Amino acid sequence: MLDTSIFWLRAAACFYAIGLAHSMFAIIRRNHSLYNAAFSTFRVGVVLQGVALVELAMAYGRLPLDNFYGTVDLCGFLVALVFLFVEKRYHFAGTAVAMFPLVFLMTLTAALERPVATWPNVGVRDAWLIVHILLVLAGYAALLLTASASLFYLVQEQRLKRKKSVSWLEKLPPLATLDNVISSSMGIGFVLLTLGVIFAITWASTESIPGWIYGGKILLSIFTWLVCLLMIILRTSAGWRGRKAAVMSLVVLGFSALTWVAHIGLRPVLIP
Amino acid sequence: MKLLLTGLNHRTAPVEVREKIAFEEHALPGALQSLRNRPGVIEGMILSTCNRVEIAATAEEGADATCAVEEFLAESRAVKREWVVPYLYRYDGPDAIRHLFRVASSLDSMVVGEPQILGQLKNAYALAKEHGTLNGFLDLVMTRAFNVAKRVRSETDIGESAVSISYAAVELARDIFGSLAGKRVLVVGAGEMAEAALRHLKRAGVSEIVITNRTRERAEALAGEFKGRVIDYDYFLDALHDMDIVLASSGAPHFILTREQMRGVIGKRKNRPMFLIDIAVPRNIEPDVNKLDNVFLYDIDDLDKTVQANIEGRNQTAIEAEEIIREEVERMMLRLATREVAPTIVSLQEHLESLRMHEIERMRSRLGAMSPQQEEALEAITRGIVNKIAHGPITELRHSAASPDGAQAMEFIRKLFRLGNHS
Repeated sequence: MLDTSIFWLRAAACFYAIGLAHSMFAIIRRNHSLYNAAFSTFRVGVVLQGVALVELAMAYGRLPLDNFYGTVDLCGFLVALVFLFVEKRYHFAGTAVAMFPLVFLMTLTAALERPVATWPNVGVRDAWLIVHILLVLAGYAALLLTASASLFYLVQEQRLKRKKSVSWLEKLPPLATLDNVISSSMGIGFVLLTLGVIFAITWASTESIPGWIYGGKILLSIFTWLVCLLMIILRTSAGWRGRKAAVMSLVVLGFSALTWVAHIGLRPVLIP
Repeated sequence: MKLLLTGLNHRTAPVEVREKIAFEEHALPGALQSLRNRPGVIEGMILSTCNRVEIAATAEEGADATCAVEEFLAESRAVKREWVVPYLYRYDGPDAIRHLFRVASSLDSMVVGEPQILGQLKNAYALAKEHGTLNGFLDLVMTRAFNVAKRVRSETDIGESAVSISYAAVELARDIFGSLAGKRVLVVGAGEMAEAALRHLKRAGVSEIVITNRTRERAEALAGEFKGRVIDYDYFLDALHDMDIVLASSGAPHFILTREQMRGVIGKRKNRPMFLIDIAVPRNIEPDVNKLDNVFLYDIDDLDKTVQANIEGRNQTAIEAEEIIREEVERMMLRLATREVAPTIVSLQEHLESLRMHEIERMRSRLGAMSPQQEEALEAITRGIVNKIAHGPITELRHSAASPDGAQAMEFIRKLFRLGNHS
């Protein structure tokens, strides 16, 4: 029963992955052509995750909330249900861009409580880790660009609001240009960080590190990703732009810097 | 040959005088010919704009060309010379070159950095060229003046900022939106100021112009002029969320747009920025609207302050530009001085060459026929000696060309080598 439950859960994660692909296209290319397919597979994913949860509950005779994986599984399922309800009731698809990656990552984390496979050799293991590091660093670079553009935005916005003429500030790009830079680099940063997190989760799961998810650094990383996700939600659905978006991107950069600092010196621990 | 410039401008003469002295376009060809026919005048060019009338001319050394030019001006404009003289300024030599460079670079304009003067100067130059009144020294100075103007524009920010209310509004819109292509403008009220601003906005590429006014006919007239559309004044608030730029210039005695109304509008726009230009007096838009995120409100005083700051900025930049002018005048003077010594250098070279040839002939008659090798050796030896003799004076001439002793050095060398007089 436990084996079939984990199978359904992993199958659900695969279906949710289409939603993730849609989000990435929508964020980077502003292309929503995948939405219908993603929404259909998302619904299939919800059914499969429900089946997995029911099987697990029947096996344990209670709700499977013994550890983090069980909790995140149920939480992801509930988020997915709420999204479906809101979408059906209010036709509010704007949040899909953020909800699809969130549900996918929660389900993936839950599905990887037990490793899917072992490393075929040390080379693959190291390459996996390096890809993760590169993705995260590239994501941070994009967020740094977002934050720089945000700073310029705030300065330019203040100049225009206060109506003061400062000659060197007049050389700054127009607000619309800066806003476009913020939007694009933030989207790319989020996509890179999401892929980095996926690589990290699968790496940690395959390594079978006991209780890896409870590590402070890991929780900080996940929190940073969630803040980044929040920024995407606010931008895409609540229409946060301009000053608010600029301030938010500076906050995200702050958390990213904290996460980066927290991970300094981690590599020797991970690679003995 | 000397360069001189005589003229008047907005600083030396009031508009009543300027309008009397200004040349009509059709009268310029005849005036140019008349100028050239004056005694002592070699070349001539007339620049006539609403702010200045200037005559640049080259004249023979010793001729009283300034007097001739003043007489020409008085006669051709049918005024008494004594009447116009108090308004005139006169420059010659390096001062005339400096003035021409400053005029071309728009440093002498009423609004420093305005671009029209360069075009007007180019037209004056082209007309003089066309009528053959400009083809030597003055041509050289004018060509350089255009290059100097280009250098001033590219190396300083002299023409960057807006110096009119309506253009300042467009520049601010560009600071917000970047390109104005695809942007929509709503004009509330249809006064003259709105019309001027609309002209600039239209030129900047806005895609749609919507006009509303209490008197629909006036709005329709303006819409016809700018290919816009008219909406009913009572419903303009409903259309506001679709607009990127709002130009308020109605005669309403109260605010027609409040902070609360704008809060709703900006929410409907999903926080896309809006630029509100309130050029009405009394103001049409509640000032607190500027406190809303993504809304930028400028009233007539704000725009005026921007313009004043830009003018001040241009004046500051003019100091940098003056340094470029100083540098360029020095360079030009050096070039002209080098040009002045060229005939002396040529005379010297010709003189020494004739001496050499004479001595070779004398040698030949004494020594009789020489072999080709001997001829070649003699040619090389004599040429070497002549070149060595010429090197010192030529170098000295070139070095002293731009110095105050240049003319003295040139005269000394001419006397020393008996080169005869030059003119």
